Amino acid sequence: MNDLGALHHSTPPGAADPVKALLHRHRDLCEQAVDPLEIAAGLEAHGITDRTAARFRHRDVFSLAEELYARVSRDDAAPRPAPATTTARAGAARTVLVLLPGLPGALCAASAVALRLTHGEARVYTAAAGVLAVTLALHAALRRGPLSARTEIPAHSSAASWTCWLIAYTLLGDGLLRTAVTGGPDGLPDGTAAGDWPLTVAPVVALALSCAPAAWTAHVLAARVRRRLESSRGLEDFAASVRPLLIALFALFLGTVAVLVTATSALLDEPLALPSTLALGGLLFLARLLTIHGFTHAPKVILTLTAAAQLTALATLFAARLPGCDALATPLQTLTTYWSPAALPTLTCGAASLLLLIHTTRKLPQASTHIPPEPPR
Amino acid sequence: MRIGLLTEGGYPYVGGEGGLWCDRLVRGLDRHEFDVYAFSGDEAQEDAGWVPLPPQVSRVHTAPLWTAEDDGVVYGRRARRRFSEHYGELAAVLCAARDLITPGTRPATSEADRFATALRGLAELARDEGGLVAALRSETAVRALERACRTPGAQRAAREARVPDLLSVAAHLERALRPLSLDWYEEDGLGAVDLCHATAGGLTALPGLLAHHFFGIPLLVTEYGVRLRTHYLTRPDASPAVRSLLAAFHGRLAAETYRRAAFVTPGNTHARRWQERCGADREKLRTVYPGMDAAPFAEAGESPGRADPHTLVWVGRVEPAKDLVSLLHAFAEIRKEEPGTRLRIVGSPSDPEGTAYLGHCRALAAQLFPDEADGPHSVGANPVSFEELGGPGLDTPADAYASGAVTVLSSVVEGFPAGLVEAMFCARATVSTDVGAVVEAIGGTGLVVPPRNPRALAEACVSLLRDPERRARLGAAARARALELFTVEQNVSAFRGIYLEIVARTPVRRLLLDGTGDPLPFATPAEAHVPGHWTDPTPRAVPGWAAMDTPVPATETAR
Repeated sequence: MNDLGALHHSTPPGAADPVKALLHRHRDLCEQAVDPLEIAAGLEAHGITDRTAARFRHRDVFSLAEELYARVSRDDAAPRPAPATTTARAGAARTVLVLLPGLPGALCAASAVALRLTHGEARVYTAAAGVLAVTLALHAALRRGPLSARTEIPAHSSAASWTCWLIAYTLLGDGLLRTAVTGGPDGLPDGTAAGDWPLTVAPVVALALSCAPAAWTAHVLAARVRRRLESSRGLEDFAASVRPLLIALFALFLGTVAVLVTATSALLDEPLALPSTLALGGLLFLARLLTIHGFTHAPKVILTLTAAAQLTALATLFAARLPGCDALATPLQTLTTYWSPAALPTLTCGAASLLLLIHTTRKLPQASTHIPPEPPR
Repeated sequence: MRIGLLTEGGYPYVGGEGGLWCDRLVRGLDRHEFDVYAFSGDEAQEDAGWVPLPPQVSRVHTAPLWTAEDDGVVYGRRARRRFSEHYGELAAVLCAARDLITPGTRPATSEADRFATALRGLAELARDEGGLVAALRSETAVRALERACRTPGAQRAAREARVPDLLSVAAHLERALRPLSLDWYEEDGLGAVDLCHATAGGLTALPGLLAHHFFGIPLLVTEYGVRLRTHYLTRPDASPAVRSLLAAFHGRLAAETYRRAAFVTPGNTHARRWQERCGADREKLRTVYPGMDAAPFAEAGESPGRADPHTLVWVGRVEPAKDLVSLLHAFAEIRKEEPGTRLRIVGSPSDPEGTAYLGHCRALAAQLFPDEADGPHSVGANPVSFEELGGPGLDTPADAYASGAVTVLSSVVEGFPAGLVEAMFCARATVSTDVGAVVEAIGGTGLVVPPRNPRALAEACVSLLRDPERRARLGAAARARALELFTVEQNVSAFRGIYLEIVARTPVRRLLLDGTGDPLPFATPAEAHVPGHWTDPTPRAVPGWAAMDTPVPATETAR
């Protein structure tokens, strides 16, 4: 490159093809250029001016670039390897992936055990401390790692408060419903599964523990989607390959939740509430999956509707105690008598997660969902 | 006259690129009123704040190009169809096989029109409905891109586009089309100015293009470095499909800008050639050289004898494109001929690459030139010194240029060589490489050698070092040339003239409204469009036979 002048002197005029030497020297540039102007810009960046171009019998750099563009053969140009994805922070990422999502589950299990072991006032403090610790851990798990949203979402969205309601209902709702049907409750819950207003701790512990499989599933999904993105030829191909993947991973997650809730129920010696826990777990997982990919609207609406449905059902039960409103309680009472108090959350959450599943299988296979986020500047 | 000044990452912000030039322009044209429409470069720039603005700047509108807020608008069926139609058209134009634009001939007009129509369609959609940011990242957009790429007539690179390529193109286009979503295109925004002056091409000129479309505002585009060329050089390391589609977009955008602009003012002949190549009409091109403040260099320029006759000076930002290695090799040759010569390299790097390059150059200098001392008892020093501006005795660039007899420029890539012009203001003889606009700036007032040719550089330097008279002659000529061509005053007055010419040629015709908002009939009488003073009492154009007995003053007929 240092010797444009030397090139001129060393090649006798007319004897050889000076452009060929130039082409050889700038082969990379010419093969990868998408139009002659790109070659012209590249040549200028290498110090070739119109006066240099005159030595190649060209009027200016542009016409020289056009000749180069026309003469280079692009047919056998090997496709360049895709830019390697950065794996610099793999170590830190793995810690986040393994430890952080496990934290809420561990803390929740510890709180459940502590609730069993303490009595009286100490139990109240334990419960408060447990709730606080689990909330903080959950917050941390959702802020970093595979469950974190790609785009900024408002810190205090209504979706979060309705999620709290749904979990609180799992903890307290079944007990409340059971006592309310028979005219209770007569006091606040005492923190045991045996009292007047019993707590159902096992599903909540199972849900907290399922944060970890949720994170891993989301991670696997992201990795697989990236690979499919690279390998698929068209948008239809991509959608067709992602949809079964999505459903399979969702089923896997539900299976994990089923195992977890069975195990916790057995360990904590509580009746098994499999359908309602599965429904709620599926609902929350899908809502988070959509939020991760930037679809915040649908989860918010569905969560709000679900919680509102449960709230209304409870309200009818208590409103029926007003004189002349007996008929209001009939549907819920029928449901509770013929099935169980768990029917209410099962039906509401089940319907909601079905809706979200349909929405997810329509939205996530869209390639536009996976447009790489803008690099921070 | 009200000027809408469009800037990007520049003017009202502190330390913006090209900010100084805009500031001088605005201060120099204090008879006009300026509305500044600025794109900020990044968040740090926004936090840094603005430079003090003169009173003729009446309004400043800013918008970030580095981020976009989704306004939450979700398109209905009709809007989506409209979007899909226009975006599909845009994608089809970008994917279409391009015929080479040869200078002198018009680019394929139908393709250019399709691009313009699609762009306008998207702009109108953004103005009517909003929500363009989300739509440009939506599945509809990606599908339209895919469809365009798979069309039989598409160019080869586009046909090979894979899904990640489509996504990357969609993301780039979303970023590029952000100016469409701005709220500037209102009657009291860009609709109220008489003239849009875009201080760069590319995306900066896009609001001007839309103002031209919506309100018929004439557009003036000033380009010191051609944006399209910058795009090619800084292209992301992407697949051929992505690069080809984006190059098509930027190429078409440049062509459309040049087509709609009333005037295009390149900063030098190099930029001018690129603009002609991209389809700018030769009649529209007016080269306006950048103006520089000559005052700081006046003292050095008036006293050429102050220079040390054995010192060469290089001033600039240290980066690989400056080819300091070649300069050091040339200096080794010079030392063989003129052993007492010293070289001062004044400048500092601005990025990590430059820092590494500076280290490399220092090592090379230490290797090539051993330290030398006057006698056996004094401390030696290297004949090559690396210094920074602001060091002892080097308060301003003028001090640096003044200290040497010859200023050297060894770049392999250069736009407009500002440092060379500063040396010219200082009346220093110069030796420079033949890159960018160097020859054009220097004229015949300095020596020019081919780039990457240390021997030629050394020979030119030696010939100047040995001939003080020639140095003085060249220096004086250089200063005279710089004072004539590259001062702020000539720059400002050139723009003043161009502004007046544009407004005289393409005045904005506005519909005057009365108090209730209805159009006012006959507010602009037909005579207003007649050239010349129609209220002038003396008849202006009088036929020869009628003028016999009423002599018309010579000045009147000449007008």
